[in-house]
Amino acid sequence: MHGPKIIHDENGKIFIERFSLIRRIEHILIILAFLILAITGMPQKFYETAWLGDLMDLIGGLDRARTIHHLTGILFSIQLMLHLLYIVIGIALKKISLSLLPRMQDWRDLSSSIKYYFGYKKTPPQYDTFDYKQKFEYVSILSAAIIMSISGIVLLAPVFATTFFSGQIVPAARIAHSNEALLAILLILIWHIYGAHFAPETFPMDKTIFTGLINKDDLKAKHPLEYNRLFPEDKKN
Amino acid sequence: MKLLLSIFISSFTLSLMGESSVLNDSCRNCHLPQDNTFHSSAHGPKLLCTDCHNDYGGFPHEKRHFENKRQYSLDKVKTCQRCHYSHYTRALDSVHYVQLKAGNLDAAMCTDCHGHHDIKRPGATRTDITKRCAKCHDDIDKVYRQSIHGSAMANENNQDVPVCTDCHTSHEIKEHNDSSFHINAYKTCGRCHGDQEKMERYGLNTNILTSYLDDFHGASNRIYSQQKQHSEKLIAACYDCHGVHDIKSKKESQTHEEARAKIVQMCKKCHLNATPSFSNAWLSHYPPTLKSAPLVWLVKWFYRIMIPLAIIGLILHILLHIWRASSRGDRLKK
Repeated sequence: MHGPKIIHDENGKIFIERFSLIRRIEHILIILAFLILAITGMPQKFYETAWLGDLMDLIGGLDRARTIHHLTGILFSIQLMLHLLYIVIGIALKKISLSLLPRMQDWRDLSSSIKYYFGYKKTPPQYDTFDYKQKFEYVSILSAAIIMSISGIVLLAPVFATTFFSGQIVPAARIAHSNEALLAILLILIWHIYGAHFAPETFPMDKTIFTGLINKDDLKAKHPLEYNRLFPEDKKN
Repeated sequence: MKLLLSIFISSFTLSLMGESSVLNDSCRNCHLPQDNTFHSSAHGPKLLCTDCHNDYGGFPHEKRHFENKRQYSLDKVKTCQRCHYSHYTRALDSVHYVQLKAGNLDAAMCTDCHGHHDIKRPGATRTDITKRCAKCHDDIDKVYRQSIHGSAMANENNQDVPVCTDCHTSHEIKEHNDSSFHINAYKTCGRCHGDQEKMERYGLNTNILTSYLDDFHGASNRIYSQQKQHSEKLIAACYDCHGVHDIKSKKESQTHEEARAKIVQMCKKCHLNATPSFSNAWLSHYPPTLKSAPLVWLVKWFYRIMIPLAIIGLILHILLHIWRASSRGDRLKK
């Protein structure tokens, strides 16, 4: 296992590579898939809401919305499978560290973070490569993607699905698909948009997922444990 | 001025009405002098014979030739439009008029349902309505009379059950395979089966409409009925499973197994490879319970609790973050 790339630009600033090109492309694809799926899916769930009914007309009706939704959903599921395959192969070849996997330390960080918010601690917890908020979001979105893909396949091919499972799987998948979608959309609208755009320390936007780079000062402020590991000589000063 | 005008008009009409019987009597000198059919009809006190037979005002009548009585009726049908404009216009949208225009001279027009001289107020007795339709559609009438609705009407004189026009409408009757008729079927059936009070009166399930609309089929048809675009796609409507004119009570099935076996047959109409396992995806018209559909119930309640909890938690966390950053100074260096 090797550390991340450290880049010195012409002005002498130091950047650390946080996301490889593949991860950055993955993020853009998720944005696209998420938008298309939400725009074609939500009018199906909340068709009684007038403006979503108008959106349905704008798309061109239920049949077209469903066709777009199914195609995008299939592509999104393939992307999810590739992501999971990448993790499995990465673990098998010992090429990746599971830095996004929640550990006991994250629960301790949550508790000390809340203590800090209420003023019982002077400083926020010291985070490693990913803090508990980022890990929570990753795990939530990953599990949402898995639930959405599986329930989506059940709804797309109900006769096929019921050859393996009892008939109940279909209405259960319908409820899961529609509610998990709502949960994921709310998570993105509330948690992700706040964390990546509106939080005081990131406003107006955290560009790291698009450029792949974080500057040294931001790394020191947001992920001090990783910073100390990468620049052990600075710690002494 | 307006007042004067209206007094003048009303007195003129009144005088005409008073005269009507006198004028009609002159026709009756020759035409059916003993028959009071027209006089006791809905038009009796209001119309003159010549209001409809307007080309026979003079005497002796001008000689005219018609192939048969039907030809005369068809020729005269536009007369109804002069007073009953909206009903007549709606009937022009009907399958009957389409047939008539296509050359089927037996297709129903005004007088076939309402009668000629014996016109009664419509809907006086609902039983009469099915009798009128049965004049041509007697095969359907036979099936209908065997159904849960038709037998209740025929045997118990039940006035709550639907007669032909309740589902097919009376004037703008659409073709039975018209997609808007299919898409809106849940509204047609829902008028009674979504009426809590009416359903309770007969001890029937009050969840029929809501459970259908919660399901994939119902939700789809509901969107189809609301969207601007026209859809030809057929997604199961009430009568695709329950039958059309031959709707039977679910109690016809003696056992649960027999009922479920029937459901598989219904599924197969669209889902060609449907299995009994697949048909169990349909939870009947009842909301899932821990006993009837534990998985569905658990998933439903998981999200009912999970979504508000998660969202409240996230918002609180964000508010705390903002509060700490604003009131006590953010300790993170930019």
